[in-house]
Formats: sequence, C-alpha cells, structure tokens
Amino acid sequence: MITLEGTYYDGRTPVAVPARMEFADGSAILITGQISLRHAAAALNVSPCIGKADRFIALPDNGQFQCPDHPFLQSLPQASPSEGPVAWLEERWGVALAGIAITACLLLAGYFYGLPVAAERVAAHIPVETEQTLGRHAITWLDEQRWFKPTKLELDRQKSIRDGFDRLRSDLPLKSCYQLEFRASKALGANAFALPGGTIVITDAMVKSANSQEEVLAVLAHEIGHVELRHTMRSLLQNSAVAVVAAAVTADAASLSVAVAGLPVLLAQTKYSREFEAAADEFAFKLLKQKGYSPLAFASLMERLAIKYESDEKMFVYVSTHPVTEKRMKRARAAAQE
Amino acid sequence: MPFCPNPDCDHRRRLGEPAAFSEGVTTCSDCGSTLSGTAPHFETVREPTVREPEKATGWTCPQCGLINRGDLALCSCGYDSNRPAVSDMQDTMTAPNPIETFLLRNKETQEQGRELVLEFNGSALEYFRIWIVNLCLTLFTLGIFSAWAKVRKKRYFYSHTTVDGTPFQYLGRPVPILKGRVIAAAAFLTYYASSHFFTSLLPYVFAVGAVLAPWVLVRSAAFNARYSAFRNMTFHFDGKYPGALKALYQWGIIPVFVLGMMFNWWGKYAIAAVAVLVFGVSFPWWIRRLRNFLISHSFYGNRKGIFSATGGQFFGVYFRSGLIMAGILVVVGLFTAMLIASVTEKSRLIAWLLAVPIYAGYVLAYAYVQAHSSNLVWNHTRLGPLRFQSTLRGWGMAKLYVTNALAIIASLGLLIPWAVMRTLKYRADHMRVLQEGELAEFQGSDMSSVEAIGAETVDFFDMDLSL
Repeated sequence: MITLEGTYYDGRTPVAVPARMEFADGSAILITGQISLRHAAAALNVSPCIGKADRFIALPDNGQFQCPDHPFLQSLPQASPSEGPVAWLEERWGVALAGIAITACLLLAGYFYGLPVAAERVAAHIPVETEQTLGRHAITWLDEQRWFKPTKLELDRQKSIRDGFDRLRSDLPLKSCYQLEFRASKALGANAFALPGGTIVITDAMVKSANSQEEVLAVLAHEIGHVELRHTMRSLLQNSAVAVVAAAVTADAASLSVAVAGLPVLLAQTKYSREFEAAADEFAFKLLKQKGYSPLAFASLMERLAIKYESDEKMFVYVSTHPVTEKRMKRARAAAQE
Repeated sequence: MPFCPNPDCDHRRRLGEPAAFSEGVTTCSDCGSTLSGTAPHFETVREPTVREPEKATGWTCPQCGLINRGDLALCSCGYDSNRPAVSDMQDTMTAPNPIETFLLRNKETQEQGRELVLEFNGSALEYFRIWIVNLCLTLFTLGIFSAWAKVRKKRYFYSHTTVDGTPFQYLGRPVPILKGRVIAAAAFLTYYASSHFFTSLLPYVFAVGAVLAPWVLVRSAAFNARYSAFRNMTFHFDGKYPGALKALYQWGIIPVFVLGMMFNWWGKYAIAAVAVLVFGVSFPWWIRRLRNFLISHSFYGNRKGIFSATGGQFFGVYFRSGLIMAGILVVVGLFTAMLIASVTEKSRLIAWLLAVPIYAGYVLAYAYVQAHSSNLVWNHTRLGPLRFQSTLRGWGMAKLYVTNALAIIASLGLLIPWAVMRTLKYRADHMRVLQEGELAEFQGSDMSSVEAIGAETVDFFDMDLSL
C-alpha cells in the first residue's frame, strides 16, 4: 500500500484541508480527518509532472488532492499524456547538455546553410511579378517624399546608357521585367539600387562619377545581379525567418527582446546583405565579360567612389550592409584576369 | 426509511431510539441486523450512555448533512464518525464534506485581516533544463512543438508560484494552443503579404482585423482565466464581444490614430504633431478602460474583480516617465553641445556613444512605466475578500532589465532561464496579498473544478490566441 500526505480541496471553497491518500488494490482512499472517500484509481486524473513541483490529482467527485511528486503517480491515468516524455527529458542534465549542443548546431546550420538555401528555393517559386507592386510603391514614395528629383542628364546620355543596359539584359531569363530609371538625389549621392520587381534606379551623381560608359554598365550589371538572383525576395524571407527565430529563442525574455535580440538579428541580417552584395558582384563580372566589357571598370569606379566618399567603414565591418570596398576591388581585378 | 429492529442494538442503547438509515442500506452498522422498512415500536427507553466529549465542536454528517453535536460520535442516520464507513461508490448525495468539517474544527484558519504569503520558488537550474529541452524540440519541429513548450513553461511558472502555501495550477493543453498559433500565424502571413505584395487588399485586411480584435481579446482572456486554477477552483472571464468593442474603440481616437499611421494620413508635420499629442494624452484613459474591462469581468468562484484606478492616475504614470526621458534628453543634449564645441571633427563614433545614454534613459522610462502601471493596477484591484499591494520601483526594474540583458548577451543566451526566474522572483517579492474576510466567501461551482475542465468537450473556438 502506498500512502501520500497532501492537501484536499473540494472545488467549492478555496480552503486547504490536510489529507492523506492511500492506494491499494486498484482503489484510492482519501482520508481527511475522520472521513474517508474511496475512488477507483482508474477514475483519477493526475496533472503532468513539472520539475519538483507538487502534483494535483483530480477526483471524480470534483474534489482534488495535491501532494508532492511520487513515482507511483505515473501509474495512474494522466491528464496530459503527451507531456510525459517531455517531462522525462526535462529531468536529465545529460539531455539538457545535449540540448545545448543540438540547439547551437541547429541555429548555426540554419543560419549558414539551411536558411539561405531554403530562401533561394522558395523565392524561385514566387514569380517576380508579385514584387512589382512593392517596387512601384517604393519609387512613388521616394518621389513623393522628395528623396528623388527628376534627372538632369542629357537625353543622349540617357539613350546611350539605356542601349547599353538593353544589351546587358538581352539574354537574361527575367529580361522583360527590367525598367531603368534616372533620378537626381542630393541625399543619396552617387548611388544605384535595384528595387523589388526589376526597377533599377541610378542617380545622376553616379553617372557623373563614372569616367566611361563601361563603368556605368558595371554598376548596372551589379544591380541586374540583385534582380536576377532574386535578392529582394530572398532577403525578405531570410530576414523574416531570422526575426521569427530570434523572437522564439528570446520569447521568455520578451521585456528585453529589443536589447537582447536586436544585436544578433542585426548581425545576421547584415551578414546576409553582404553575401548578396558579393554574389551580385560575381554575377556582374560574369555578365560584363560575356558582353565584352572588363570587370576592371567596376574596380576603377569603386576606387574613385571610395576616395570621394571616404568613410570609416572598417570600424563597422560586421554591421555594414556592404562588403569592404577593397575586397570588392580585389575580386573585380581577379575576375578580369580569369 | 429503513430502521434497525434489534432492541439490543448498541445504537438504541446509547441514544434511546432505533437507528435509522438512508435508503438502500440493508444492514445495521452497529449490530448487523437486517433492517426493516418501518419504525419499530419500542417502550423501554434506556438511559443513553453519554460518551466522553471528544470533539469540541460539532461535525457534519457526510451521509445526511446533519450537523451533530461534538460529543456525539454517531449521527442519527447511522453514520459513525469513529468508524468512517468506506463507501464503494460515491454519489453527490452521500459524499462527505470534509471542508465544512474542517472549517468547524479549525476556526483559526478563518481569522480575518491576515496576509496570504505570495512566493515564487522556481529554480534557475531546474528551469534551464525545461527551457533548453523545449527550445531544442521547438526548433527541431520548425515551431510545431512551441505549443507544448508554452504549456510546459507556464506550468512551471504557475506551479512554483504559491499563495498561502498552495501553488497555482495551469490547465492549458497543447492542442488548443497549437490551433491558436496556427491561426495567429495565418493572420500574420495575410497581413505581411498584403502589406508587401498585395497592397490593394491592405484596407480590407485591416477592416477584418479591427472587427476581429475584440473577439480575440475576449477569447484569449477567457482561455487564460479558464485554464488557471487555484485550490481546485478555476478563474473565469465573462466579458463579451460588445463590451470588448466598447473598451477598445470608444471615442475612436486610438483606432483613428493607428489607421492614420498605417495609411500615412498624417503627412504634414503639424497634423502629425497634433495627432501624436491627442493620441499620447488619450492613451492612459484607453489603457484604463482596457484594464477595467479585463479585471471587472474576471471571476474567482462567484467573486468578481473590482477595479478602481482612474485614467488620471495612469496619465500621471506616463507623464512622469515622459519627464524622465525628457530630462535625460536635455542632459545628453547639453553634453553634446559641449562636446561639439570642444571637438572639431564629427565622427560617427560620437553619435554611437551618444546612443548609449539615450538608450539607458529609454530603459529607465520604460521600467518606470512597467513598475508603476503594474502597481497602479494591483493596488486598485479587489477580488472578494482579497486586496493586493504591489511595490515595484522603476529603478529596481531598470537594474533588473540591464543586468539581465548583459548576462544574456555575455552568456550567448544561456542565462535566459536564469533571467526569467529572477524577474518572476523579483515581481513576487514586491507583491503582497491581504485577506480581509473569509476565503470561504469564494464559492465554486460544478463548472469551476479542475475535473470539470478535463471532462468537458473542447469546442472549436477553444484556443489560445494570446502570444
């Protein structure tokens, strides 16, 4: 016979009554003071084991008996059977240590390999047209907010760049999606972007910084790389996934989530961004060579821009969205040699 | 009603009358004779042998409910309290009531005006194992296990929080939580897709969201209440959709502001400033209305929460935290002015360094709001005979947040469970529960016992929508 000391609650008043429960021959006898109640053990319902906390045994007459955990309770009907194995795992330090290792491996594998591959696969199944609304909204917004002003480039210059651009895109799978836009912008300086859906914007300052048509095309080839490799969609997917995982891991420390999850999320997202830039560079070098241009043009333009907009980028390597310029130039020169 | 026909029965000797039994009993519990259906005729009334008074107070017969004198061990129905009968089948008619017996015997538990000790006794090491196992399984199952993880963690928090020595009990089950999470994820994806790709649908998505929001509020409050129990009595939330609608949207200021933010209505700076000001000033009243809705529809037993804080008091809390933030901004501003005057080159590094005190000020203001709005809510809530006293301090909370954040970052996240335990302990240490009346004032029903929750069929909308 097993006897457990505990407390009885009748379910009608929150009053705790010292009680004892005796188990024998498939029945459970609850004894409080001088009163005893017999129930079939099979009619009881035991709350799941959690840590070393007390267990609650629900009785068929709506009463409840609370007692410290005891191995015998596992043989009674469980209120939530699916939690049994989880509780078993939670009790063991070996499992916890393995859990640390597995969690770290899962997070790192997902971060370096799983997520980029998964995002690439998923993005391949989403037609680029779905992004076009987003791209249209972005450029309308930038125009309305006066980030962009109409271009001041001569029409001839625009025409020759457009012709070069058309030559670059002529054999690409997404060639019908592209749209080239010229804009002037003080705030953004010499810059070019690929907006979602294939709209590529190049600023007047960028065109003027370039010494030759080849250099302008080098920049456009890089932006074409972003579109062709679906970087908008992939970064959207990857960044959302990183944010969701970070939220899941730090869910318990929710009140600190910005302080705690902010930095790792920033590091992860900027790492992906740098990878996309490097991938777009590689794509551009290949495209340029294929069309008879030299990747050296890219290097010379980067060099000129770096001198013009000298920055302390080395200090911010890990939070920067772009790779270090020097590295990019080196890659361009190497690509020209190949 | 069967009676004992035996004239020499112990019962008749002691009490001078034949023992009577409840229907269905066939033999006398005192002498073993077969009972007869009619009261026997008897002349000789023997002097009852009065037994020594063993019990100071009366006791309730568990079979018939009659309250007997303490010096009598035998009830008129035949129940002998010295020899508790072990009945094989219990039914509600004859089930003994140990609580009343206990209350009658232990008057001191009903003393009034005492403090019920609130304690949190979770251990960081124990919780660490729970945390890591559940996190690992959640990642492994791509999030499906998160419903189980939530249940396990809540169970741990509840069962290590005790009031008057009794832990709380969390009764939530994983499947309804999983269902809620699937629906929440679908809603989020719809919002995400419509805000990024199908922008023409966005107004409709917002409209549907606004219509559903009160329903979500009511369902999640009801779920949380229903699946939280203390001493075998669950909590209960009876708020309904119209009430939630009113609490959320009354005056229309908050929804109009949020919509304006979403659809970029506040284009001009002047209009935006007015909108932010109106929003900021009315926000404390909105929070009060929401708290009031949640508390005054929450029940424990038959007692309902009463909330007495005013919007003005909430305004005070937010206003003072605003002053803290403003004070720090002024100090940082003065410091920057001095710095710019003395240092000629403007480096990005200086801007980064300035972010530190501003961020610290933000943490302090945030901690102040957390501590004092929590104090305000608890100190103005009554639940039947219970009052609460919350004494959180903004500075203490800020220290807690900062040390937690540093520890978590330095340990690459491994100290998250420790930080959680510490925070819960801190909160429990700053909370007192005062009892001004009898706990027996809370009356449960057949619906409120833990067993009733386990037996009920789960309806389709029984799901946890809170995050």
